[in-house]
Amino acid sequence: MPSLLLVVFLVELAVHLVNTIGAATINNLLWTLYLMLPTQTSRATAERAKLQSEYLKIRRDLNATSSQDEFARWAKLRRQHDKLLDQLEKMKKSHEGVKTNFDRTIGVVRWTATRGLKWFLPMWYSKQPMFWLPHGWFPYYAEWVLSFPRAPLGSISIVSWQLACNGVIMLASDTITAILGLILGAKVQSREQPMKATQGAGKPKSATGSKKDS
Amino acid sequence: MASTAVVSADDGLEPTLQSILDQKSLRWIFVGGKGGVGKTTTSCSLAIQLAKVRRSVLLISTDPAHNLSDAFSQKFGKEARLIDGFDNLSAMEIDPNGSIQDLLAGQGDESNADPLAGGMGGMMQELAFAIPGIDEAMSFAEVLKQVKSLSYETIIFDTAPTGHTLRFLQFPSVLEKALAKISQLSSQYGPLLNGFLGANGSLPNGQNLNEMMEKLEGLRATISEVNTQFKDENLTTFVCVCIAEFLSLYETERMIQELATYGIDTHCIVVNQLLFPKASSGCDQCNARRKMQKKYLDQIEELYDEFNVVRMPLLVEEVRGKEKLERFSDMLVNPYVPPE
Repeated sequence: MPSLLLVVFLVELAVHLVNTIGAATINNLLWTLYLMLPTQTSRATAERAKLQSEYLKIRRDLNATSSQDEFARWAKLRRQHDKLLDQLEKMKKSHEGVKTNFDRTIGVVRWTATRGLKWFLPMWYSKQPMFWLPHGWFPYYAEWVLSFPRAPLGSISIVSWQLACNGVIMLASDTITAILGLILGAKVQSREQPMKATQGAGKPKSATGSKKDS
Repeated sequence: MASTAVVSADDGLEPTLQSILDQKSLRWIFVGGKGGVGKTTTSCSLAIQLAKVRRSVLLISTDPAHNLSDAFSQKFGKEARLIDGFDNLSAMEIDPNGSIQDLLAGQGDESNADPLAGGMGGMMQELAFAIPGIDEAMSFAEVLKQVKSLSYETIIFDTAPTGHTLRFLQFPSVLEKALAKISQLSSQYGPLLNGFLGANGSLPNGQNLNEMMEKLEGLRATISEVNTQFKDENLTTFVCVCIAEFLSLYETERMIQELATYGIDTHCIVVNQLLFPKASSGCDQCNARRKMQKKYLDQIEELYDEFNVVRMPLLVEEVRGKEKLERFSDMLVNPYVPPE
């Protein structure tokens, strides 16, 4: 069992990551990974992709065939086309069913691992001190707040620790975003600057337009 | 040159309807196709041929534009009637729109005059009319009831043009579901309704709820029986009639595919109205048309290699009356050989 301090921190980190990246994106990523595994589903998906390309090919042929001049060929293509379309529809339906199931399972797991734990841990360990403050460093009211709600006075409660972790993570994430933004922004600007200069010289009208776009 | 299309049938199946005549288990034969391709003529001819090898044959027209009377120059009605000159071939014409009105409205003759009294019965009627294809299904159900008691060996349906027929064939399952629901509802809420309606359960416009439910239930049973019979290839087959033209061919292909989805057997195509101009013929239209028809005949040959494709010539006279029909029907069995 890793220390509670670390677990709380990791949970906070996970919640933050999920919030920033987005649940749908994570689901899609996991789905793609899941399809890479040699499962029944991935095989079905591969088969579906094959069928789809076949279907598209037949449809191209069908469009290229004149129904009046080569009726027999056209009708045969048409039969294949209809059959494939039917199969594809069915596959799509079953595929969607599997995907929904997968999404639901992942959703439940994700919720338990992040939100669920985030609520469960403070409740379960509400009376346990995370660590003790040096005696006499803080006034009474500060100690009372830090040990809120039920941890012994003079210690850091799990809720306070959660808040602290959250704050640090926020700070770090904001810093990273800002730095990334600065770097990317600088890159984009350096790319746009010369373009604007040349455009401005040639056609002043379009230069204002591009400014508006950016 | 004109005979190549006829001769080239050697590699396919027999170009006749002999297989239908030989298949003694067949009880229901449908003849269908686009309007104006000669369905009625074909069904009459087939009926005549069948009458030679079966004990008794009934020819039924479900086309609202009844042509049987024209073809045989004899008036037919809702009752099966022997055709003049035959002793085992009868015909009848049913109006698909008539029977449902009979069933629903006919029960309360006296009180129907008052539109306000419609109430529940009127609603039922509306409801029943709203189901697509119910008119055809009702007429089929009615016919089936009649036919069962009459014990004909084979029944030939001269169906209305394509759309109608197909709509009916996909219909029984829909109705079955609807009726099952209605029956269930009525058995659950029947007592409640009867409380409202009085002891004998009579509806405001003189209909009786229980009676109506019984009728619907009976209808459902009949229709589900029809459905299973129609899907049995030993009992039922569909003869497609078409002409050697693009649209007709297109419709036929569509129909054959749809019939396949309903599980109805079809293995015969009659290509009607073919031109066989003499080699020396100076008729430009005829020669051009012959060329076009030959093109589509070749396509049919290629596409429907598992079908009996019968080629029927376009005659110089209208095919009406017993003798002409008999002569024409002969070509369903003995392939037409065009004059050199």
